[in-house]
Amino acid sequence: MEAKSDIAWCPGCGNFAIRDVLEKLLPELPVPANRIVFTSGIGQAAKMPHYLKVNYFNGLHGRSLPLAVGIKLARPDLTVIAYSGDGCMYGEGGNHFIHTIRRQLDITILVSDNQVYALTKGQSSPTTDPGAINSLSPGGNRNLPFNPVALAIAMGAPFVARGFAGDKEHLTELIRQAILFRGTALVDILQPCVSFNKVNTYQWYRQRVVKLAKPATDRSAALQTAERWGEQIPIGVIYQDDAAECRAGAEIFRRGATAEEVACQIDMKCVMMR
Amino acid sequence: MEMNVIIAGEAGQGAFSVEMELTETLSRLNYHFFATKNYMSRIRGGHNYHIVRIADHPVHALSGGIWDMVVALDGETERRHRPDLREGGIYLSREMTAAVAETAKEAFGTVAASNSVLVGIILAVIGVSAEKSAEAAEPGRAEYVRKGFEFAAKWKLTAAVPVSAAAGVHRKFDGNQALALGAVLGGCQFVAGYPMTPATSILDYFVTLAQGLPLHFEQAEDEIAAINMVLGASYAGLRAMAATAGGGFALMQEAVSLAGMTETPVVIAVAQRPGPATGLPTRTEQADLAFVLNAGHGEFPRIIFAPGSIGEMIALSRKSFALADRYQIPVFILTDQYFADSVQIVEEEIPLQVDSRQYPEFDGTYLRYRLTDEGISPLTFPGLTAALVKLDSDEHDEEGKITEDRRMRVRMVDKRRGKRALFEKEAVMPTFHGDPGAGMVVLCWGSTKLIVQEAAERLTAQGTPVGVLHFGQVYPLTREMIAPFGLEGKKRICVENNAGGQFSRLLKSELDLGVDRLVLKYDGESFTVDELTRTLKGLLA
Ligand SMILES: Cc1ncc(C[n+]2csc(CCOP(=O)(O)OP(=O)(O)O)c2C)c(N)n1
Ligand code: SF4
Ligand SMILES: [Mg+2]
Repeated sequence: MEAKSDIAWCPGCGNFAIRDVLEKLLPELPVPANRIVFTSGIGQAAKMPHYLKVNYFNGLHGRSLPLAVGIKLARPDLTVIAYSGDGCMYGEGGNHFIHTIRRQLDITILVSDNQVYALTKGQSSPTTDPGAINSLSPGGNRNLPFNPVALAIAMGAPFVARGFAGDKEHLTELIRQAILFRGTALVDILQPCVSFNKVNTYQWYRQRVVKLAKPATDRSAALQTAERWGEQIPIGVIYQDDAAECRAGAEIFRRGATAEEVACQIDMKCVMMR
Repeated sequence: MEMNVIIAGEAGQGAFSVEMELTETLSRLNYHFFATKNYMSRIRGGHNYHIVRIADHPVHALSGGIWDMVVALDGETERRHRPDLREGGIYLSREMTAAVAETAKEAFGTVAASNSVLVGIILAVIGVSAEKSAEAAEPGRAEYVRKGFEFAAKWKLTAAVPVSAAAGVHRKFDGNQALALGAVLGGCQFVAGYPMTPATSILDYFVTLAQGLPLHFEQAEDEIAAINMVLGASYAGLRAMAATAGGGFALMQEAVSLAGMTETPVVIAVAQRPGPATGLPTRTEQADLAFVLNAGHGEFPRIIFAPGSIGEMIALSRKSFALADRYQIPVFILTDQYFADSVQIVEEEIPLQVDSRQYPEFDGTYLRYRLTDEGISPLTFPGLTAALVKLDSDEHDEEGKITEDRRMRVRMVDKRRGKRALFEKEAVMPTFHGDPGAGMVVLCWGSTKLIVQEAAERLTAQGTPVGVLHFGQVYPLTREMIAPFGLEGKKRICVENNAGGQFSRLLKSELDLGVDRLVLKYDGESFTVDELTRTLKGLLA
């Protein structure tokens, strides 16, 4: 177990709670630790796998998802979890977020959404509320916020949830279901950043979060729930489609071809007629 | 004997199909040939041409000589190519090819049959019998080809330029097929990519091979995703490759650096076309050497190959994967549009056994970045044993955890950079062609090899001995690589398909080897044997 002092987060950071959840949950899963692979990008959130007993590929800012796709395609036997922050997943990696959902692979996407670029000291992120003031937006953030859960539902992600770092028990169940779900699963986690986000604090979220009783199975109903933000912020599984298609990776690991198989393939006429 | 034929017309008029069908049939008839294409970045219209050099001896380069036969599918051909027809050469005018199309449509109900009729005419010209041609024709096209013999007889073209079939057992590839095949033979099982000329056909051929072999191709949303998928697959246990053109590679750069830092084995094929930016999308150039050499922020080692023949391409593409694994580095294969689109036959035996990765097993004490005496950390993959495999793009400790410890930083940098000294010892030697006693040596790299070699042969035959030293490995360059060739005492000329003489600068910076003259070409086309013979002759005078 990691001594908490080795962890590069500020005291009181919401990421500690998420780490507690994962540390307790992962050993309970029906998958041994050596078959769990985390990918992550860069940011405070992206350091998460360093503090867990798992395999990980901590790559570049924004690129946790294509790494996860490559791993899952190559090794369908591994449980693949991409972990990063809102800036990493929805900003720098926004294109990958859209297209990873389209691939319909069994990948879990977990996001510490603190509505801020924390590691670079508090600039606006895609999920920062309009009007928020910071060093690069002294007159207040002018951009419309990115809605990850609505986008994921619209793109056809079959499991879409929002969690809150201030409710570990609830979050544990969300993440458990997301990992066990067969298909692309997103959990956007409201994660208070005590150092750089003085607006969206524990208290701010606590006053607003409302737990959903059960997920919508109808996409347009789910989208309506996903649209809700402000006075009330729904948390829980927003959308779930157990019947959604899930594409398997390639079963080719440690399967080499013989010289005869190669000869047969290259001498086929269709090959010559490129 | 040889016959040089050019088939020219608008995009979409069938010149491409004629080339494909002709080379396919020539291969079945055991002819030596070399074919290449010159096309515009459009799907219809414009003016494209396809060149086939048919010979009774091995040919591997664009001759650039005058045409023995010109096949005109459009009006532009008359203006552009007829002046280069040799005296007494065969000209199939636009009216004649239109008559072929008309007849094909009437007789067979499809204009597409006219491509095969044209193939029949060309086969008749080189003296193949109608029976043999029909036998070698594409399935269902024998009658179309026979019709070509009727036209040839009518126009008195039968056996006008006889060439005998002298090739033995062989296979036929273009440069990109050779690259993809070499990769598969090197154990590559995963490619992710985003289409971009002239790299797309690498992806095409990999996908073709994947139809019957345990391989996976994934079309990525962009090149950034492509190379990250490739790195993910490599980390997970598959040998993997990214293939793109210079513009796509520009997007991949950050991940080249990621591969360097995380020591993830990867092979990256860069098919060059003229830049900057979109440049000339369907033309050729050798101007991305400096880019590939310097791509990626920070300092980390790499190997760059630039093969010059089909056989060398297959061999070095294969080898790239073993080296990438052994040294846990990015290995590059540089090619270009000319090589990519040139179809050639290979008579030498191609070993088809598939290399495989090692899957060493470790216990829970495994450290991905263990500092070892040999200078290389043991590589394994997640989920095989209790060993956890942890990669980090930050500077890291032996376990793979973020560190800012200065001593660890220095040790890790030294380990990564130290690998160069190890792989320098197994550098691929350049190949010398021609008279070792020649006072002049032409230095070249990549796709120009066989053009330069043929030009040197011609000069030597004309009484001016010229040697050729071709580098299939362009980086790193070591003194041992050039030691056997006595370059210091010779007049040195560097031939490159670019404007800046990038390789000559590398020779200077890496080996302190200057060159006396540079022969450069950067109009979007490759050198031809004729052109280069003339230029080199001029330099000797
Ligand atoms: C290509 C690139 N651009 C910028 C950065 C600098 N950078 C590091 S983390 C970060 C933002 C992190 O925000 P987020 O993903 O929300 O993570 P957080 O720190 O808030 O947990 C940025 C811009 C980088 N590392 N790489
Ligand atoms: S800066 Fe914010 S997100 Fe980062 S560790 Fe501190 S509190 Fe957490
Ligand atoms: Mg953030």
